[in-house]
Order: sequence, then structure tokens, then C-alpha cells
Amino acid sequence: MNTDYLPILVQFLIAGGFAAVTLLISVVLGKTAQQRSEVKDQAYECGMLPIGETQPRFSVKFYLVAMLFVIFDIEVVFLYPWAVSFQEFVRDGVWVAFYSMLGFVGILFLAYLYALKKGALRWSD
Amino acid sequence: MELLFYLFSAVMILFGLGVVVSRNPVTSALCLVMSFVGLACLFIQLDAFFIGIIQILVYAGAVMVLFLFIIMLLDLKAEEGRQINYLALAGGLILCLVFVVQLGSVLTSFEAGDVGKTPQQPEMTTDKNPEGLSELAMERMAEKKLPDVHLVGWTLFTKYNFPLQVVAVLLLVSTIGVVLLSKRKLT
Amino acid sequence: MITLNHYLFVSGLLFALGLSGVILRRSLIVIFMSLEMMLSAANLSLVAFSRFHLVDGLPNYNGQALVFFIITVAAAEVAVGLAIIVALFRARQTTSVDDITSMKY
Repeated sequence: MNTDYLPILVQFLIAGGFAAVTLLISVVLGKTAQQRSEVKDQAYECGMLPIGETQPRFSVKFYLVAMLFVIFDIEVVFLYPWAVSFQEFVRDGVWVAFYSMLGFVGILFLAYLYALKKGALRWSD
Repeated sequence: MELLFYLFSAVMILFGLGVVVSRNPVTSALCLVMSFVGLACLFIQLDAFFIGIIQILVYAGAVMVLFLFIIMLLDLKAEEGRQINYLALAGGLILCLVFVVQLGSVLTSFEAGDVGKTPQQPEMTTDKNPEGLSELAMERMAEKKLPDVHLVGWTLFTKYNFPLQVVAVLLLVSTIGVVLLSKRKLT
Repeated sequence: MITLNHYLFVSGLLFALGLSGVILRRSLIVIFMSLEMMLSAANLSLVAFSRFHLVDGLPNYNGQALVFFIITVAAAEVAVGLAIIVALFRARQTTSVDDITSMKY
């Protein structure tokens, strides 16, 4: 058996155990609060009666930022192996790797400029 | 190692089944996250460490969060409890069963890859320098460890420079598409 | 002993699950998730091929480079596809494929 991965197993166990114990404790301790009744669910004294949805819809700005994040996340995915292998490129004089990454980042910079100019990243309108 | 293969395959397939059968889209999305985690473990077992990490970072981290965002945004609770089209159900199931049976019969009668040679990581070493890796990468290889990211980076940036530019243009186009599609609704 | 056949079978199983999801489910979002599953199944078979086809004792990294490009294309596709789904939802108030049967509205 490969013992190198033992810490990962231990971490999985701790993570799963923490989640299970937290859920269990909240169920056990929350037992008294779950005894609901008509009177208990009413609004307190002169409190407002709840109306409408409990989950408000997100603004369109949130997912615009999220989508742009996904696209620029991909850029980092390509940047990382390039940075790791950069010493080898320099030593062997593979300058095409440098210019290729320059072109890649340049084209994505155009995308960033476009998003900036269209106001996609402006939070307050 | 065999036990781990079966464990992670089972995680991947069972949670994948959860994506298809669960009626709540949030459950589907979370099942897909777990399925991708199992897939990433399979990648790591196949010594593709970097791809395994990328699978978790990009798919489970970014793409699935985007899916959950959209599900929250569109408030898709109303999709539950629609009546099922039994004809489509039967057709889909039959098609997939035929696919799996065909796959199984092909794979049992045909030994793919190098027969009886299953490389394990300690044997994976080479005395040749694969087209000029750095000293560090060669040291790793001498210790019988696989300098995965070095080799991926070397392959990507020596052989695939033009596809990389095409991918950059694709990302540019998709940025423009996202901004246009979202901005038009704001006004 | 785990051979290439095992990996190919698991990958084919994942692909079949994704295919059944695309055919069976009526919600556009879940169909999209199933598409992602099918792309990932293709990735798994590519990585397995690259691992079991050794070149000078190392995995064949051309296959893994292809996996990188597939992941990139899938992420770009998700960003644009979800933007289209949101636009569709704004116009029709539904994401069920049964309700979206005409190209124009």
C-alpha cells in the first residue's frame, strides 16, 4: 500500500467527520426548537407578517462577473505550465514559447479591454 | 491500487447517475461536482496530476459554481413535478443500454493497448532526455518521479503554439458573446 | 490488474450516462450538465490512452495537450451557453425544452 497518500486519507476523514458531527449536534440540540405550533410560527407582537419570496433573485451583474471569471481562469491554466517550464525554454532558446504566450495574453487583454469598455466590470450603475 | 480504481469509478458513475435521475437541479449540480472529483482522482491515478488538479479547479471550482449561480438566478423550482414522457424515457434508456452492451462486447473481445503491459509509476523513467528538459526535471526523473507539469508545458509550448492562439481567439469571442448577451438585457 | 480496457469501459459508461441525460431530461440546465459529463468522459479516455501508450517510457503528452484544449473549449462553451439560457429565460420564463419549440417568438 502506498503510504504517501495517508495524510490525504486522514484529511478526508477529518473533513467528513467534522461535517457529520456538526450535522448531528445541530439535529440533537435543535430537537426542542422543532416542536412547532401555530402560535409559535406567528410574528412576534407587532412584527410584520412575512410576504413574498424568501430567496431574492440575484442581480445580472453577479453572473456576468462569474462568467468573465471562468474565461480568465482558463488563462491562468495555460500560464502555469508555461511558467514552470520557462527555465527550460530560456536555456534551450525556444523563443517561440515566449512570443506565443505574449500573443495569448495579448489577445485575452483585448477581451479584457472590451469587457472594461462595455462596463461589464462596473459594479455600480 | 485496484481497489482505489473501483472506488473512484463507483463514485464517479453513481454521482453521474444522480445527475440524471434527480429532479432538483441543485441536487444535479452538486452530484456533478462529486462526479468530477471522482474523475479527477482517476486522472491522478493515471499519473496526469496536473490535469486532475485542473479538473477540480476549472470544472468543480469555476464551471459548477457558474451552474449553481444560474440555477439560483433563474429560480428553477417550478421544473419539478412535470409529467414524464414515457416514450422518450424508453427510447433514451434503450439507446444507452445498447451503447453500453456494444461497448462491453467490443472491450471483452479486444485487448486495447499493449497487451499485458500495464505500466506502473516506478518503471516510468527514461534514460533519454526528452528534447531538453531542465536539470530539475531530470533530477525528478532520476528519482523516479514524474515532472508532469514540466512535460505538459514543454509539449504545449513547443508543438501547440498555433492552437493556443486559436484558443485565445475563441476565449476573446466568448467574452464578447457573454458581455453582449448580458448587457442587452440590462437596458 | 487494471488495463486500458477498464478505463475505456468506465469512460464509455460515463458517456452513456451523459447521453441518457441529454435524451431523458427536459430541463436545459440539466441537459447542459450532461453535455459536460460527456466531454469529461472523452477526456478520461484521452488521458487513459496517453498513459498506456508510452513514448520512451513517458506518457504520450500529445493526448494530454488535447485534454487541455477540450477543457478550455468546454469552459468557453459553458460561459456562452449559460448566457444564452439566461437570455432565453428572460424572454420565455421557462427553461424546459418542451416549451421552447419555435425559433422565433
